[in-house]
Amino acid sequence: MSGTRGRDERKVSSLRELSGAIEPSRDLWPQIEARIDEERRVTPAASAAQERPARRRTVAPRWLAAAAMVASVAVGVWIGRSLLPATRPVAGAPATAAAPTLLDAAYVSDPRYQRQRAALMQSQQAQLAALPPAARDKVMTSLAAIRRAKQDLESELGKDPGNALLQELLVNTYQDEMRVLTDVQQASSAGKGI
Amino acid sequence: MTQAQAEDTRIDWEAGLVQRACSGDTRAFERLYREHVGRVYGLCLRMTRDAHLAEDCTQETFINAWRALPRFETRSSLSTWLHRIAINVSLAKRRKASPVEPMLEDEEGAGVAGEWTLETPVEVQEIEAAIGALPEGARDALVLHALYGYSHGEAAQMLGVAEGTCKAQLHRARKLLRERLNVEVL
Repeated sequence: MSGTRGRDERKVSSLRELSGAIEPSRDLWPQIEARIDEERRVTPAASAAQERPARRRTVAPRWLAAAAMVASVAVGVWIGRSLLPATRPVAGAPATAAAPTLLDAAYVSDPRYQRQRAALMQSQQAQLAALPPAARDKVMTSLAAIRRAKQDLESELGKDPGNALLQELLVNTYQDEMRVLTDVQQASSAGKGI
Repeated sequence: MTQAQAEDTRIDWEAGLVQRACSGDTRAFERLYREHVGRVYGLCLRMTRDAHLAEDCTQETFINAWRALPRFETRSSLSTWLHRIAINVSLAKRRKASPVEPMLEDEEGAGVAGEWTLETPVEVQEIEAAIGALPEGARDALVLHALYGYSHGEAAQMLGVAEGTCKAQLHRARKLLRERLNVEVL
C-alpha cells in the first residue's frame, strides 16, 4: 500500500490498535470546495437546502425512468411467460415471488445466485440462436433495457447508498434478468418462442 | 463529563454542523470534512491501495455526501454514512481498474471469532504491509471488521455480500496474516 505516513515503528499486539484514520498527503478540501461551487453555479440556488427541490427535479426523473424501465420489462417478461405453457422454476433459481426487502440486496452478491447467473449467461448465446428471430429480438431488447436500468440504479446508489427504494429496484432488475434468462432457457429446451 | 455525555455533545455538535451545511454553509461542511477526512481517506486507501486513487475516492465521497446531505437522517451516524459512500465509490473505482476476484463459498462461523490479537507484538508498518498484500475481498472484510469495528452483518451489508461470505473472507484473512506475519492471530 502506498501510504502517506512516515515509517511507524510502534509495535502493537492487536489489529484493533491500528488507527483507522490516515491523513492524506495534501489538503483535498480546496478541490472539493471548487466542485461544490461549480455545481452551485450550474444550479443557481443559494444553498444546499434550496438545491433540494432542484435536485429532486433532476434526480427523480432518473429514478422514475429506471423504475419505469423495470416495470415495462417486468410487464414484458410477464407477457412472455403468459405465452409459455406453465413452467416449473429451474432448480436452484432464486425465489422471485416474495416482495424484496432491504436485506435482499445481499442476494445479488450471493455465490449461488452468481453461479446460477453465470451458467445461464454461458448458455445464453446458443439458446438465443435457437429461438425464432422475433422472440430473439424481444429477449435482446428486454435484456438491454434491464442492463441499462441496472447501470442507472447502481450509479444512483453510489450517490445515495442508503436509499431503500433504489436498493429494492436494483434487486427487482436482477430478478427480472434471471426471469428472462430462465425463460430463454426453458423456451429453448422446449423448442418454442417466447 | 462522562464518555457517554462527551459523545452526546459531539453528536449534537455534528448535527448542528449538518443542519448548517444543509442550508448551504460550506464552512460547516468543511468542518465536517476536517473531522472525518482521516477515517474516510484511511478506508479508501486500504481498499484501493493507491494513494492517488484514494484521494479521488475521498473527494468523490465528500462531494456525493454534500449532494445527499439533505437526505441524511441525523439520528444515524454520519461517520457510518460517509463510510458507506466511501465503500461504494472505492468499489466502483476498483471494479473499473481490475476485474472482480472470484467469490468465496459461505463458511458460516468458520474461525471468525476472536479479537485479532497477535501472540507477539508486531511493528505497525509490517502489519499494514501484510494487510495490504491480502486479496481484495479478505482485505475489505478485515479492514471494516477489525480496524473500523463494524460487525460481520454491518460489514457484509456495506460490501454488498452475504454475511457468510464476509465471515469466510475474515477466516481467509486471519489464515493469510498468520502465514505472512509468522505470528498466531487470536
